[in-house]
Amino acid sequence: MNARRQAERNARKPAPPSSTAAPEPRRAPTPVRARLGAWRDHHFYGFFSSLGRLAARPWATALTVLMLGFALALPLLFYIAFDNARALSGGLREAREVTVFLKRAVESAAADAFAAELRKRADVAGVSIKTPQQGLAEFRQLSGFGEALDILKDNPLPTVLIVTPRTPGLQEERDPSIVGELGADARVDLVQYDATWRRRLSDILALAERAVVVLAALLALATLLVIGNTIRADVQSRADEIAVMQLIGAGSGFVRRPFLYAGLWYGLLGGAIAVVVAIGAETAMAGPLDRLLASYDHTLALRGLDAASAVIVVLAGALLGWIGAFVATARHMAAGHPD
Amino acid sequence: MITFDKVSKRYGKSHDALAEVSFEIGAGEMVFVTGHSGAGKSTLLKLIGLVERPTRGQIVVNHHALAGVRRRGIPQVRRGIGMVFQDHRLLTDRTVFDNIALPLIIAGAAREEIGKRVRAALDKVGLLAKERESPLTLSAGEQQRVGIARAIVGKPPVIIADEPTGNLDPQLSGEIMDLFAEFGAVGTTVLVASHDLHLIKRIARRVLVLDHGRLIDDFRPA
Repeated sequence: MNARRQAERNARKPAPPSSTAAPEPRRAPTPVRARLGAWRDHHFYGFFSSLGRLAARPWATALTVLMLGFALALPLLFYIAFDNARALSGGLREAREVTVFLKRAVESAAADAFAAELRKRADVAGVSIKTPQQGLAEFRQLSGFGEALDILKDNPLPTVLIVTPRTPGLQEERDPSIVGELGADARVDLVQYDATWRRRLSDILALAERAVVVLAALLALATLLVIGNTIRADVQSRADEIAVMQLIGAGSGFVRRPFLYAGLWYGLLGGAIAVVVAIGAETAMAGPLDRLLASYDHTLALRGLDAASAVIVVLAGALLGWIGAFVATARHMAAGHPD
Repeated sequence: MITFDKVSKRYGKSHDALAEVSFEIGAGEMVFVTGHSGAGKSTLLKLIGLVERPTRGQIVVNHHALAGVRRRGIPQVRRGIGMVFQDHRLLTDRTVFDNIALPLIIAGAAREEIGKRVRAALDKVGLLAKERESPLTLSAGEQQRVGIARAIVGKPPVIIADEPTGNLDPQLSGEIMDLFAEFGAVGTTVLVASHDLHLIKRIARRVLVLDHGRLIDDFRPA
């Protein structure tokens, strides 16, 4: 025992005073690998000690994480709803045909000539003719008034030309000029072109998109504050421990890192909860929504939360947590180191 | 190793905790600081550990001129100083081993190294068997020994202790002081603040005596 003590004592005999300005672990010429090792060890320390702290108070942690989860789930759900609305409206927006109702006096030969005339125009992509007979057959089939229509002596429907304009871009703000020209034509009874309605729809969608962004920003701020406040309380309850660490040579980074990791965990777990909540809500609404969409000829399908969005939400949560913790710890760190 | 040159520390407008204190402590010296309570012992140690800044005067510790050490440089200076506190200030939510390992972790020592050095420090204070225990289960004397092990584990060139035996009975106090004397014998500079004159007399080392912030005696035993 004594020999061992002596040997050990010799081993820890400090180097000559002239060369030692700091303790050995730091002072020894540090190759890059050793520094990297120390850096890695410091992060391991922050990583595990933060996890340990969260696990030591499971209920408080669970409550915070759930609160964050629901706060983050709200914008996520709105985003999903918006995404579906946009997909739904996509089909409508692309329907750019101009429906031209000809006067009843226009005979079918004249209608064919008119269509041929229109086809020659540079700004027309195509024209299809719906004769009164075709129109009646279609109406009979769709309306279910088949027998009632039989009472009619003659066909009340006009010939309809469906004109597809050739427009330079899809984001056409004004109506194509052909719409006005057709309206002025003597053979035309009525021109139907739902540009106004379509524009209104896209305005509503733009508003909804903005609302989603604003809501997401507000709830992100709330997330930041919740995490910041949780970390601040944590810092306060550990003020003694922080003071001791600073006294034995811990820098701000070392003291701060476990709190930053804790913020990261809160945000990460909150984001994960948000994804679970969103998937749950989606599943709960899927049945009725599918039935509704099925009535639209199965051309529409519910768009769920995609993997990329889920990952983004979780990462955004983590980032918010880190920032929240960073802000919350900033003020406290300067305390132990007087200028 | 520790130099004070006309150092004064004033709190508020008129309370002089230290006034024009000058002394020099060489490498490997063991020195006591004594005086009545409020004489400035704690302030003197706080100035060395950069817990406080002097109002006037120059302090050099471990070749660092403290006036030139900016806030970001403080941790680096403190890593060269082992601090022992009257109330030991151990972290109760972790084991004895983890408490002692903390300065090494902070300094970025390699993991294999940490285990070896923590056990060496525990061996030195005679607590090798207690490494897995919580500081709360230890006696007051043992807790203070853990505090000392934590101060020496990083092999700092300077150790400062503020009333390390303040809460201990005479026999434990003697043992703790003997430990400090041992460190002085292996080349570490040790500065202990204490008002236990019997103990100081028994150890028989250099003594700085403070009175109302002034250094009134610098006594060296023959």
